[in-house]
Amino acid sequence: MAQRAVWLISHEPGTPLRGAVRFSRRYPTVEKRARVFNGASYVPIPEDGPFLKALLFELRLLDDDKDFVESRDSCSRINKTSIYGLLVGGEELWPVVAFLKNDMIYACVPLVEQTLSPRPPLISVSGVSQGFELLFGIQDFLYLGQKNDNELNTKLSQLPDLLLQACPFGTVLDANLQNSLDNTNFASVTQPQKQPAWKPGTYKGKPQVSISITEKVKSMQYDKQDVADTWQVVGTVTCKCDLEGIMPNVTISLSLPTNGSPLQDILVHPCVTSLDSAILTSSSIDAVDDSAFSGPYKFPFTPPLESFNLCYYTSQVPVPPILGFYQMKEEEVQLRITVNLKLHESVKNNFEFCEAHIPFFNRGPITHLEYKTSFGQLEVFREKSLLIWIIGQKFPKSMEISLSGTVTFGAKSHEKQPFDPICIGETAYLKLHFRILDYTLTGCYADQHSVQVFASGKPKISAYRKLISSDYYIWNSKAPAPVTYGSLLL
Amino acid sequence: MGPLSREVWAQRLGAFRASPSAFMAGPEAEDLGRDLLGDLRSEKLSEQTKVSLLALSLEYPAQLWPDASAAEVAATSLLDTLVLLPPRPSALRRPLLLAATTALAGGGALGPTSGASCRLLPLLLGLAVGSDLGRGFVPASEQRPLQATACECLRELESCKPGLLGGSLGLLRGLLGQEGPVQPLSLLLSLALRNTLVLQSRAGAGLGALLTARVSPTGGGPWDWTLVEEGDGHLQPQAPSWPVAEEGEGECSLTAREHNPEEARELRAAVAQLLDTSYLLTPVAQAQLLWLLGWALRGLQGQPPALFKPQLVRLLGTAQLTLMHAVLALKAAFGEALFTAQDETLLLRRLTLAAQHPALPLSTHLFYLHCLLSFPENCPLGPVGEEAAPLLLGPQLCRGLLPSLLHEPMALLARLHLLCLLCAEDEEEEEKGQLPSPGHYLEELLASLWQRAALEGGPRALATLCFQASYLVARCLAGQPTVLTPLIHGLAQLYRARPMLAPHFVDLLDHVGPELREPLKVVLRQEVVSRPGRDEALCWHLQMLARVADGDAQSATLNFLQAAAAHCTSWDLQQGLLQVCRALLRAGVGGGLVDLLQVLARQLEDPDGRDHARLYYILLAHLAGPKLGVALGPSLAAPALASSLVAENQGFVAALMVQEAPALIRLSVGSHEVKGPLPVLQLLPEALEPIYSLELRFRVEGQLYAPLGAVHVPCLCPGRPARPLLLPLQPRRPAPTRLDVHALYTTSTGLTCHVHLPPLFVNFADLFLPFPQPPEGAGLGFFEELWDSCLPEGAESRVWCPLGPQGLEGLVSRHLEPFVVVAQPPTSYYVAIHLPPDSKLLLRLEAAQADGVPVALRTDDWAVLPLVGDYLRGLAAAI
Repeated sequence: MAQRAVWLISHEPGTPLRGAVRFSRRYPTVEKRARVFNGASYVPIPEDGPFLKALLFELRLLDDDKDFVESRDSCSRINKTSIYGLLVGGEELWPVVAFLKNDMIYACVPLVEQTLSPRPPLISVSGVSQGFELLFGIQDFLYLGQKNDNELNTKLSQLPDLLLQACPFGTVLDANLQNSLDNTNFASVTQPQKQPAWKPGTYKGKPQVSISITEKVKSMQYDKQDVADTWQVVGTVTCKCDLEGIMPNVTISLSLPTNGSPLQDILVHPCVTSLDSAILTSSSIDAVDDSAFSGPYKFPFTPPLESFNLCYYTSQVPVPPILGFYQMKEEEVQLRITVNLKLHESVKNNFEFCEAHIPFFNRGPITHLEYKTSFGQLEVFREKSLLIWIIGQKFPKSMEISLSGTVTFGAKSHEKQPFDPICIGETAYLKLHFRILDYTLTGCYADQHSVQVFASGKPKISAYRKLISSDYYIWNSKAPAPVTYGSLLL
Repeated sequence: MGPLSREVWAQRLGAFRASPSAFMAGPEAEDLGRDLLGDLRSEKLSEQTKVSLLALSLEYPAQLWPDASAAEVAATSLLDTLVLLPPRPSALRRPLLLAATTALAGGGALGPTSGASCRLLPLLLGLAVGSDLGRGFVPASEQRPLQATACECLRELESCKPGLLGGSLGLLRGLLGQEGPVQPLSLLLSLALRNTLVLQSRAGAGLGALLTARVSPTGGGPWDWTLVEEGDGHLQPQAPSWPVAEEGEGECSLTAREHNPEEARELRAAVAQLLDTSYLLTPVAQAQLLWLLGWALRGLQGQPPALFKPQLVRLLGTAQLTLMHAVLALKAAFGEALFTAQDETLLLRRLTLAAQHPALPLSTHLFYLHCLLSFPENCPLGPVGEEAAPLLLGPQLCRGLLPSLLHEPMALLARLHLLCLLCAEDEEEEEKGQLPSPGHYLEELLASLWQRAALEGGPRALATLCFQASYLVARCLAGQPTVLTPLIHGLAQLYRARPMLAPHFVDLLDHVGPELREPLKVVLRQEVVSRPGRDEALCWHLQMLARVADGDAQSATLNFLQAAAAHCTSWDLQQGLLQVCRALLRAGVGGGLVDLLQVLARQLEDPDGRDHARLYYILLAHLAGPKLGVALGPSLAAPALASSLVAENQGFVAALMVQEAPALIRLSVGSHEVKGPLPVLQLLPEALEPIYSLELRFRVEGQLYAPLGAVHVPCLCPGRPARPLLLPLQPRRPAPTRLDVHALYTTSTGLTCHVHLPPLFVNFADLFLPFPQPPEGAGLGFFEELWDSCLPEGAESRVWCPLGPQGLEGLVSRHLEPFVVVAQPPTSYYVAIHLPPDSKLLLRLEAAQADGVPVALRTDDWAVLPLVGDYLRGLAAAI
């Protein structure tokens, strides 16, 4: 269950090494066990330099893939998880858990308590999920609420001390590093009652509960006979409970209006103490019918100190909020484009913003543009080969808007227009970006009166909602487009 | 030397961390450990600097204190520093405890005879219990954090020495029930409990007593070195990997001992106590607890896994990777005993949705996908340890998990694997619902992948992904022509569009099975040879052809090569061309190739190329097929880094020259048989490895015999008795000699080897031949006639022949039987021996006494007399 070593590596393209080890920590007592357990198949943890090089090579971050290199490009070297075998000094170090996020590579090597040859299945190695959780925890700590490089550096400098708290001997005690930081601050508190390990102290002050529901809607629209459009809502419910006492109990109910779309695929925070079986079983895998459980969805829990994601859900709303089509045709030297967007009448027509981004890949800069739009303004980013149609805060009364025009391009230069493997020829998309405040597509809301708090004092309860677009694509209907298996289900 | 300043230490630590090995090779290495321990007590350094020194010792104790005695000294010093801290809050207590623990456990010094261990253990236990250690040792504000730290240190020691805390179970349980810190105590207790369960099944210690006693029932303090020793110091996997063999040793040793009802009840109570408070633990710690307890109780009689049931619903609802993983571990540990068929379905559905839930990150999705394909089913059907789609996971459940072009490469491959598994089942079941056919979807997806890989200027990663996908499909669906045919077609098209992917094709051909390899080779060869041979991509075509050319479609291939030869103006193109020739040579192509090689040997601009072509031509003209194959085969001797030419030449040298080799055969002389007109030596060959075409050559020392012919054996295998080889001898004089033996043979790797074997000895008696048998009753007259004929040219002598316990009769029957002419057993024998080429030896053995027999002998060759004397005198000894 323990980790042999942990690294944090910044990916720095353009520098000689392409990266730098920002933090590393080794666990010698675990290493000693690894040597015994792994026996003849034991491979020691390398020093930072060789590890960095091997990891960047394996993750294809050395940008030298001009030639075929068997140890990286062979068809039989198939990696289907973020767990790698690294060639270091002629031996293969395995399993190395590693992933890249925001130009930072998070990596660790979990202890495997047996011989490595043959390799045991990953599912049976307890240290793998522990390692992931530790790395996710470090990632959250570094990036949640972080605004600039200075803050990042400050947080990086806190890591050695925090890991001494959260993972002193290689066995992770708490993946939430913020807790470890608070632990040092709350150190003097002694509680006679049982204190949860995930709650380093108690809150003192005015009681308040804040609940915020954020729904993201994604969609793939094709405007084709044989391919179905798809869309999905993904919701996140975030809570911050400032309540006195060690273990205050809270129950939050999420409700749907009549005809609201049932919530599915609900995942909850570990602090939720019990779950209705209807919540556990409602799943997007099954076809939705009228008998589907439609709430209220009750979540009893004991809140941690910090802001946390109480639950995630998905939902299948009957129609996408904005339905559109995009037609693009190559006509000799220019492209002719037509876009039509229609806001569904049931959707709140009051956006914080709404934009359609129309990128042109694998082409040169835009040299000439002629267009006509029924609504909004068009911005042209010539060098980026990008058009942005700014729709603004409201659709017109007709709820329908259109754009048409012709675009001409200059010669392609490889440095400025990166290669896109999907949008070849006339295969193209436009992507919608919008946000509507105080609104959810499913209709889901947290009724303030249904929030039950078992703690001293009557808390102030506030609730927020918003809808954001995410991966909202409308594909050119005049060319092939990448489909998912789901789009073929007609 | 006085204490170093903060800056000097910062610099030193920085240098060490940059490369510990380089630092340890430098001049400062030796003092580092000692300086560090010393400066921890310096009053000039800040606590912060000291913490950074301790942090270094936590990571690199082996470099600072390389052996057990150094580690012991270091731990003692760290403990001294701890005791000497003034009684006010300090940031050093915690890291000092951790450092002392690390030094002892990591340095291998932990043990009952180690002074530091005997100080650290009571200190840790005292801190964990929260007892007053006196003299304000722990300031009140630090009591709780140090209590937790002490538990962590004890857990680490227990991990490194399983069984150590076997005697403290009752104590820890009591603490957990009171107000101790829940998480550290729960984790420590569950680990100690697990280790005790494994070890006590061997030791036979009473578990019930251990669980209830407040002090160790075994005496000698609360730590239990006896239990550690019972474990032979073997580490216990805290969470063993599955699948574990059902009747294997390790795990099932848990079942070896049954607990009495009292013990079982105590154990159940302890486990329930741990599980009941588990929600107070952080998710990662909860997962550890479940792994530990799950595998501890697996297979224990009287311990129903239902204890875990109340936790499951709560766990199944969460998005936490560790918790879901722990549930899967429980599933693997208990199977049907904890998860009914309905539970299994629910778990599988939760796993399926987690593997695609938009709120979770990619790495989590991928791990869950792996878990799906390795799902510990209640009733698995497939082979253990191989990824497969669980039975309950049908196309309906999977439809959100299928790949699309928009996925990241790893996600695409993982999902493609699932799709392939579905296609394999689809083929078997032929069940068609409303869902689109997975096979059809697969075909379209592959087509898009090829299309993408074919893009001019696309990154290599796209090509790699495409070939990985093709390989995966070929591996999973090798037996399905409906998949393979479009696969071959698509790949051929890809090659046509982008020949620069030739190395990927070669790599693919090297890895796929014959179902795809053979037809793909044919198609790709056609793809290449149908071209004019003056393509820009000629170098790729040649590289491709070198892999796919074989005996088929010779004329098309040779035509292509002939056309290409004119355009091979650069060295690398010529080498490419020669590589193809070489491949054809190996494939046994003759005819047209001879002409081509001759042309190349004359026309190529590069002298090296010409030489090669000439060499190939000579090889083709002079070597038979199999030898040619070996000559051109990959060289075993060539080091990996040598250039291809060096490697190739070494290959030739190895294959075409005779190697001096250590003897792979042994040769011995068998029993002497008297047959035919010539003495014959019976040889028994024995091979240590399979060898072929063995030729044995013999040389007689001193020309005593006529030259001996070679003996041939087609094949010798170790362990298979070979027939004796008969070597006829033609002595020119009747004298013993020594045969010099050489062997020449071919090994199974095709090398021809030569070896000088130890000499063989031909003894005097090996030359004995009988005279033709006289008619019945005429023996005596025949003998007398021979006897008389020896003189006067010959010689007569008398020799005393000692007799062994077998007496005269035994001696004659053992050594002289075939030569006896007149016999009056047991006292008198007349023996006539023909010594080739034309000598005779006559013996009268009469009037034997208890210890010997006088032998009268005559021979017509006086030179043999000393040999006869030696022979007769040696008979008794020669059994």
